[in-house]
Amino acid sequence: MSLNNLILLTGRTISQGVALEGGKASRENVRAAGICTFDADDFKKLDCLVGTPVKVITDYGEVVVYSTITEEGPHPGIIFIPMGPWANQLVNPSSQACGTPQYKGMKSKVEVVKNGKVLGAIELIGRLKEA
Amino acid sequence: MVEKVRTVKDVCCPFCGTLCDDLEIDVDLKTDVVVEVRNGCQIGTKKYFSSNPSDHRYTKPLIKENGEHKEVSWEEALDKAADILVNAQRPLLYGFSSTECEAQSKGVVLAEMLNAILDNTASVCHGPSLLAIQDVGASLATLGEIKNRADTIIFWGSNPVHAHPRHLSRYSDFIRGYFRTDGRNDRYIIVVDPRNTHTAQVADKFIQINPSEDYELIQAIRAVLRGSELDVKEVSGVSIDDIKELVEKLKSSNFGVIFFGMGLTQTSAHHRNIDTAIRLVTELNDYTKFILIPMRGHYNVTGANQVFAWNTGYAYSIDFSRGYPRYNPGEFSSVDLLMRDEVDAALIVASDPGSNFPAAAVKNLFKHPLIAIEPHKTPTSAFADVVLPAAIAGIECEGTAYRMDTVPLRLRKVKDAPGECLSDKEILERLIEKVKEKLGE
Repeated sequence: MSLNNLILLTGRTISQGVALEGGKASRENVRAAGICTFDADDFKKLDCLVGTPVKVITDYGEVVVYSTITEEGPHPGIIFIPMGPWANQLVNPSSQACGTPQYKGMKSKVEVVKNGKVLGAIELIGRLKEA
Repeated sequence: MVEKVRTVKDVCCPFCGTLCDDLEIDVDLKTDVVVEVRNGCQIGTKKYFSSNPSDHRYTKPLIKENGEHKEVSWEEALDKAADILVNAQRPLLYGFSSTECEAQSKGVVLAEMLNAILDNTASVCHGPSLLAIQDVGASLATLGEIKNRADTIIFWGSNPVHAHPRHLSRYSDFIRGYFRTDGRNDRYIIVVDPRNTHTAQVADKFIQINPSEDYELIQAIRAVLRGSELDVKEVSGVSIDDIKELVEKLKSSNFGVIFFGMGLTQTSAHHRNIDTAIRLVTELNDYTKFILIPMRGHYNVTGANQVFAWNTGYAYSIDFSRGYPRYNPGEFSSVDLLMRDEVDAALIVASDPGSNFPAAAVKNLFKHPLIAIEPHKTPTSAFADVVLPAAIAGIECEGTAYRMDTVPLRLRKVKDAPGECLSDKEILERLIEKVKEKLGE
């Protein structure tokens, strides 16, 4: 199953804050920030269980994260990934000459990848070193 | 009874820009580890506990050899770091927002010696706010004023329940103030956000706006405030009736404040959003007292802006390549420099661009030698050529930090740093001496 024409927002969550202080290499960090939250009705269209890995794709990159239903909805058409290594695979690096990249508001699509692997922060960022 | 712990009171929390100054920390007398944190939020508490020795805490300087980190002496690590910096054509010194002001000022000295780029994390967060404030000025106030006086509070594109967990209870919502004796009941809270955030769920009014359309809504509010009739039914997903109701509410308040966050600075309109929000605040002052405050993220990013500004004239994105400071976000800001692949070595102080920069920028950062002054293993330090283990400011060393409203507060030391960790300030001082030697100064 897949969904198109979504808008990706990124930002802080308290779990992501706790996890980054508790150890960025930890699985806790993956559970906190390696996730994508969906509007409840949008999630139904994906036809999968909460926690199923999904691939989120924007013009700037793609990443596999765990899916979940938002506690901060309804927000149809909007998906949210907490700030961090996973979200930053997808954001628009262009700052339009003001210095700050566009971390919010990217057009995106989502595909369910049941056997997808959600990488840890160090492994995910490590791929940028090897590339 | 024999005391087993010592308690340090009135501790300033080094996590977010709210800089809560009422924490109480219990430290075990025998092992010198943090065993209890009172008054802190979930994140601040975790920061104190994670300062204890663990498998992700660095205790000795490291150098990367054949892809593996190897423990070395401070002398060897500093020598390698100084070599990297002195041999670079266009080194970048980045971070500084999660350390104290004295260390930040050493960063300025080092940047000037190296003719380097000097930048802090405002570059990727509230940089647009600084640009806008430089353009059109701003009406600001301290959080104490807000606690005592404000009766209308707007959170625009910010979610303090998650990002500044004690902001609502200390300054802006539930707290009782001199003129707000009934606390929450004396305040009207408005949240503007594309998502029905947890902050919105405790607000009196939630205005759900289309993503990235903040500029249009602020302009519409300004137009209605001036008495213009808009010939559309809605702007940015908000009905004209709602906008009119909001404007009446704002005009009739005694003291209003707009707290704004990344929802305004990181969307496509960037500083134009803040420009127009500041102008709205200026125009509201024709009717009542109104101010705005950026919700700063890192506990001392405000300090980094202050220290850099009083030393160089500029708050961030500073280039020393000509021997004197120049300022041009977009040209000298870290992400733009990395996207153009201009940087050929980087010193990262108390920050994690590996996690927090867009992937394409991180790729270019990793192409070149990297030095990290960092207490913990992060996606940046894990790939650094040199890791210099730091004591955590506000936990293991003293210093000064600036709260989001630019009030400076003193950070306390509650325990010693593990292993051979040194404070950021001392590391930078020793690095400056090494660089001086190599430059023959």
